[in-house]
Amino acid sequence: MSDYDPLLTVESVSKRYGDERVLNDVSFTMDRGDVTVMMGPSGSGKSTLLRCVNRLTEVDSGEIRLGDHRVTDPGIDVDALRRDVGMVFQDINLFTHLTALKNVTLGLREVRGFSTDDAREAATEQLERVGLGDQLDSYPGELSGGQKQRVGIARALAMEPELLLFDEPTSALDPELVGEVTAVMADLAAGGMTMLVVTHEKGFAREAATDALFLDAGSIAERGPPAQLFENPENERTAEFLDRVSTVSGEP
Amino acid sequence: MSETGATRTTADTGRVVSGSLGRWLTIAGGVLFWGWLLARWLNNWFLPAGVGVPPGESFLDPAAVAPISDSLAFAVEYLPQLADAAWLTVVLTVVSIVLGFVFAVPVSVARVYGTYSSTVSLAFTELIRGTPLLAQLFVLYYALNLSTLFRGLPDDGFLPSAVVYVAIIGFTINSVAYQAEYIRSALLSVDREQLTAARAIGLSQRQGIRHVVLPQALRFAIPGWSNELVYLIKYSSLAAFITVPELFNVARSIAADNFAYTGIFALVAVLYLGLVISASKLMAGVERRVAIPGLGGTASQ
Amino acid sequence: MLPGTGVVGAVAVGSLELSIRTIAQLGSDTCGSLPPDVAFVCENAGYLAGGLVLTIALTIASLLVGLVAGFPAGAIEVYGGRYASLAVEAVGTVFRGTPIVVILIFAYFVVPITDWFPIQRVLPVGGAFVAAVVGLGLRSAAYQSQLFRGTLQSVDEGQMEAARAVGLSKLGAIRHVIVPQALRRSVPGFQNEFTIVLKDTSVAIAIGLAELFTRSQDLFVQRTTAVTEVILLISAVYFVMTFGTNRALEYLNDYYAIPGEST
Ligand SMILES: Nc1ncnc2c1ncn2[C@@H]1O[C@H](COP(=O)(O)OP(=O)(O)O)[C@@H](O)[C@H]1O
Ligand SMILES: [Mg+2]
Repeated sequence: MSDYDPLLTVESVSKRYGDERVLNDVSFTMDRGDVTVMMGPSGSGKSTLLRCVNRLTEVDSGEIRLGDHRVTDPGIDVDALRRDVGMVFQDINLFTHLTALKNVTLGLREVRGFSTDDAREAATEQLERVGLGDQLDSYPGELSGGQKQRVGIARALAMEPELLLFDEPTSALDPELVGEVTAVMADLAAGGMTMLVVTHEKGFAREAATDALFLDAGSIAERGPPAQLFENPENERTAEFLDRVSTVSGEP
Repeated sequence: MSETGATRTTADTGRVVSGSLGRWLTIAGGVLFWGWLLARWLNNWFLPAGVGVPPGESFLDPAAVAPISDSLAFAVEYLPQLADAAWLTVVLTVVSIVLGFVFAVPVSVARVYGTYSSTVSLAFTELIRGTPLLAQLFVLYYALNLSTLFRGLPDDGFLPSAVVYVAIIGFTINSVAYQAEYIRSALLSVDREQLTAARAIGLSQRQGIRHVVLPQALRFAIPGWSNELVYLIKYSSLAAFITVPELFNVARSIAADNFAYTGIFALVAVLYLGLVISASKLMAGVERRVAIPGLGGTASQ
Repeated sequence: MLPGTGVVGAVAVGSLELSIRTIAQLGSDTCGSLPPDVAFVCENAGYLAGGLVLTIALTIASLLVGLVAGFPAGAIEVYGGRYASLAVEAVGTVFRGTPIVVILIFAYFVVPITDWFPIQRVLPVGGAFVAAVVGLGLRSAAYQSQLFRGTLQSVDEGQMEAARAVGLSKLGAIRHVIVPQALRRSVPGFQNEFTIVLKDTSVAIAIGLAELFTRSQDLFVQRTTAVTEVILLISAVYFVMTFGTNRALEYLNDYYAIPGEST
C-alpha cells in the first residue's frame, strides 16, 4: 500500500429518502491520522453520511472504500467492516443493562473473540485511558452524561478501529461536561487516531482537526484547514452558519 | 393489536397488608403455608413406608381439635387431600410456564424481527389468545385424543399420569402465546438505537438481539410473567374438565360426596389465594433482584 | 354510557338470535348432503346458536356488572379514604386471586344469589345464568377497578389543579375533567377485559349453564365421532367474536382518540 493511498475514500455518494435528496454527490478522502471535522446545519445530512461509512445506512449511488473494504459493495461482510470502524453516538447509546466495563468487554468477547480475562484487562485499559478507571462497575444509569460518553468512546476504541466516527458526541451534554469529552477526543487525535467528527465545537476543531468540511443541504459547500474555514469562509452559507454557532456557544 | 391487549391485570396483592407488622404477618403466613405444603408432599412421596402418615390423612386428629372449633376440625380433616392435589396444580403451573418461556422467546423474536416468520407467529398468538383455554384443552384431549400417547406411564401421584401430560401440553401452548405477547411488547420497548450501537461495534443482528436487546427486554417482561404465573395457577383448575385430579377437581369430588360446598370451596379458595399471593411476592422479589440502576425504572413500580 | 350500551346489547342479541334462527332453518334443509359428522353439526346449528346467544348475553351482562361495580371501586382506591380503599383492595385481591371456576361454584352452590337477586323470575333466564353473571361480573369488577385505578392515576395532576383553579369543586373536577380523560384511556384495557370475559363464559360449563361451550359438549357426547368438528367449529366462533370485536374496538379507539394524545 503506497503512502498516497487514502484510508477513506468517499466518491460521488448520493442518498435520498423519498423525494428528499439527503446526500448529493459527496466526495472526499481521509488519510491515516487525519482528523476531519464536519459541520453543517441540522438536516444537512451529516449523520446520514457517517452512517453510510459503516453501512448502518445504504447509499443510493456512489462508492465508499475504507482500506480493503469496498464499503458500498452489496456482498461484503458488514460485521467485518464495522469491526474496523468505531462509532460514537450523539445520544450515547450505552447498553443500559451492562456496567461500564461490560459495555466495553461485550464487543471484545463476542466480536474479537477475547477470553473473559483478556477482555477485562483490555477494557480496563481503555476505560483508564478515558479517565474512568474508578467507574468500572457502574451502570450507565449511575454515570453523568460526560462519563457515559467517555465509556462510549472507550467501547469504540476497544475494537481497535482504523477509523472512529463521532456523531455530535457532545450535543446531548450539559455545557460544563463538554470539556471532559473533547479533551479525551483531542488526546486520541494527538495519538494518531483517524477520526471523522461531526461537531460544532470550534475549540476542539481548531486544536485537534487537520481538516474541516462544511456540509449544506447534502453537498460539501466548503473544505479546508479549520482555522482558514473559520476565519475566512468563502461560502456565504458557511459564514452565516458559523456566525450562528458562535453566538450560541458564546465564542468570540 | 394494541400493546395493552397483551396484558392481563396483575393480581395486585402487595398493598393489602402494609407496615412492618403486616410484613411480618405476611412472612409468617408464607412460612406456615409453604412449610405445611412441603411437609405434606414430603410425607406423601419421600418418606419410607411406615414413617409419617398415609397420604390424604392429616397430621393432627380432627376429633382432637373438634372441641376447639368445628370449622377447624373440618379444615384439619379435608386440607390434607387438598394439599396433595395442590401438588399437581403447582406442577402444571411451573412446568408450563418454563416450557412456555422456552418457546415464547423465539416466537416473539420472530414476531418482532422476522418477516415471513412474523406472520406465522402473529397467526399463532392471535389464534390461541382468541379462543378459550377450555376449548384448547378439549381439542387436545377429545379431538386429538392425545392422552393415548402417554398411556402406560407410571402414576403414583408424584409423577403425573397421562392426562397431566395432555394438560401440560395445552397450558404450554397457551402460555407460549401469552408470554410471546409480553416479550414482544418488552422487545419493542427497548430503544431501537441499542441494536444500532450493537451493530456499530460489529455484533451481528443475532448477537445484538441475544446480548443487548433480550437481556433488557426480559427484565421489562417480568411484570408480564407475574401475570402469567398467576394466570396459570388459576387456570390450571380447568384441567379438571379433562379429568386431571388437580386441586379444583379433588375439591369438587369431595364436595359431591359430602355436600359441604361452602367449607370445601372456602378452603380451596384460601389455597389458591396462598399460591397466587406467593407467586406475586416471588416475582416482585425477582424483579427487585435483577433491577439495574437506570433501566426501566417505571417498569418496577 | 350505561343505558345506551344496555339497549345496544339487547338489540344486538335480539337481532342476532333472529338471524341465527333463519340460518339454522335454512341450514337444516341442506344438511343431508354433507358427510355424516358435519351433517350432525349442521343439523344442530340451531341448538348451538341458542348457546351462542346465551354466551353473548352473559358476556355483555357480566361486563356491565363489572363496569357498574368496578368503576366506583377504582375511584375509591384512588380518591377514597384509607380504610375504604383498603377494603376495596382486599375484596379485589380475593376475586383476582381465585380461579373463575371456584368463583362460579361459590356463586351457584354456596351463596344463595338467586334468592337475593331473583332476576330469573322477571327475565327469561335460569338461576345458573344469574349466578354466572354475578360470578363473572364481580370478578370482572375486580379487574376493571384496577384498570380504572390506573387510568385515573395516569391523568396528570396538573389537570386537577387547573380544574380547581377555575373554581370547580374536587368532585366537579373529578367528574368533568379527570373521568372523561380516564375513560378514553381505558378503552384498550376494556377491550382486553372483554376478551377475557367472553372466553371465560365457557367456564360456566362447571355450573351447567347451557351456553355455547356446554352445548358443544352436549353434542359431542351424543355423537363422539363428531367431536373434532364440533370443537373446531365453536373455537372458530369464539375466535371470530374476539377478533372481530377487538378490531372494531380498536377502530373506535382510533376514531375517538383525542388529537395529540396517544393511547
Ligand atoms: N431513516 C430515515 N428515513 C427518512 N428520512 C431520514 C432518515 N434519516 C434521516 N432522514 C432525513 O434526512 C435528512 C438528513 O438527516 P441527518 O443526516 O440526520 O441530518 P443531520 O445529522 O445533518 O442533522 C433529514 O431531513 C432527515 O429528516
Ligand atoms: Mg445528526
